[in-house]
Amino acid sequence: MFELTAEVASFRQRGPHYWVMGFRAPEVAASVRAGQFVNLLLRPGPLLRRPFSVYTASAGEVEIIFRAVGEGTSLLAQMKIGDRLSVLGPLGRAFEVDPEWKSVALVSGGLGVAPMLLAARDARAAGLRVVWVHGARTAAELSLESGGDQVVYATDDGSRGVQGSAVAAVPEGVGAVLACGPNRMLAAVAARWPDAQVAVETYMGCGTGVCLGCAVPLRAGGYDRACQEGPVYRAAAVDWDALPSHLQYAVSA
Amino acid sequence: MSVDLAVDAGGLRLRGPVIAASGTFGYGTEVPLLERRALGALVSKGIFLRPRAGNPPPRIVETPSGMLNAIGLQGPGVEALVRDYCPQWAAWDFPVLVNINGESAEEYGELTGRLDGVPGVAGFEINVSCPNVEQGGMYFGNDPRAAAEVTAAVRRRTRLPVWVKLTPMVSDIAVIARACEEAGADALSAINTFVGMSIDLHTRKPRLAFRTGGLSGPAIRPLAVHLAHQAARSVRIPVIGVGGITTPDDALEFLVAGCAAVQVGTATFADPRALARVHDGIAGHLAAQGLGSLAELPRYLQHD
Repeated sequence: MFELTAEVASFRQRGPHYWVMGFRAPEVAASVRAGQFVNLLLRPGPLLRRPFSVYTASAGEVEIIFRAVGEGTSLLAQMKIGDRLSVLGPLGRAFEVDPEWKSVALVSGGLGVAPMLLAARDARAAGLRVVWVHGARTAAELSLESGGDQVVYATDDGSRGVQGSAVAAVPEGVGAVLACGPNRMLAAVAARWPDAQVAVETYMGCGTGVCLGCAVPLRAGGYDRACQEGPVYRAAAVDWDALPSHLQYAVSA
Repeated sequence: MSVDLAVDAGGLRLRGPVIAASGTFGYGTEVPLLERRALGALVSKGIFLRPRAGNPPPRIVETPSGMLNAIGLQGPGVEALVRDYCPQWAAWDFPVLVNINGESAEEYGELTGRLDGVPGVAGFEINVSCPNVEQGGMYFGNDPRAAAEVTAAVRRRTRLPVWVKLTPMVSDIAVIARACEEAGADALSAINTFVGMSIDLHTRKPRLAFRTGGLSGPAIRPLAVHLAHQAARSVRIPVIGVGGITTPDDALEFLVAGCAAVQVGTATFADPRALARVHDGIAGHLAAQGLGSLAELPRYLQHD
């Protein structure tokens, strides 16, 4: 884990709702794994850091993807090239991929696409066939990443792809499922594929395991920490009824 | 430039006045990038006799210049503490106090008895001020008789330093402070969090699953300075100032207000190096004032 002052190196709007921001963080870029996150501190800005899944990592630069929904993300959206922010990371447990799967579905809802570019990179490196399944409320909020792999779209309003949930749109016969999105979507993933790996969203305090604020209720009883034992879990391990179904400012939403 | 920051704080000689506050530093093994040299002492996450799961999520919400938490004293229980953490503490070059909790005075006493004499345990901070548990906690801290009863129950079981962490949710903190002093406390930590609530207008429900939580962070600092000052001038034992300290100047306010030392808490969440920054900044301030030691810092402490 590193804590460094990073300079904003790139900024682009992706679609009508999403921003992609890149910053120079060579130590993080070199070591981050799919599903891990960085915790960003803005000064001036809100009291606590804000966690973001790492979207891309290459050539010393790390990118995050976000939507300006609250105080922290609105400030991020106003940053300029050369502005500085404090980066803590990489944090959390990553997705694991297994060559035995032959194929893998990367299922995302909205900004749940955030960890999937790195997951696709790892899956291809392991020789897996990758199937992207992007879900969103409308076509305008849909992620379009595919990296040349097979891609399936699903929208709640039917404005693009299959009408309905991303979970229902996953083709039969995939070897494994990795998913990220609103918790209610992940609960549906858990019902269909107990062994799926899912990246949950929670409110987070410190991101380093100290504050116990990012509690994830477990089927086995008790809670553990999204920032340490998560955010990636075996889907069947989480007590989905006890996990808030959607959080406005959470890691992947 | 070398400034002597050592302080006497409730039965302990500390190499510096900056202490890690309970619940914001785990058991001392979790905070990354830790600069141990800056720690005067560490107060562990609150512990009960038995393991506790804690409260359901959401447990935290950020508020203007602060945060509400309702963790609910999640913890592994005293046996796991003794097995997993005390041996590590015994090897460290600063003291660790255990923040102790119970649902009755007897339970506080029993917990103290289990920990007294365990290598690594340098003292106790009695938590009679947690707002996030159904039983015990703050109930003991806003009744002078109950606070004294718990303090006495702990005092009977140990000769190690006993600190009492006070709640701000009282009409007169001096009354509670004196009750704890008379019952045998060696120092007081002032203060724990204020009880607060935040409502989500979309769901029209509290944002925290526990409904209420403890407010910490810079938002409470002026309130905390006032209450720590009131406590400090009403007792002879040292008072440790706690509440919203983020910068060296914040800490110096508490010290000038009459506190012997300070605890840094919420600031660590945003900056794992916060304690070291506060520690180094205090030394810098004293040096700039031409003072060779913290003991020479003039205090504003009119006694009642």
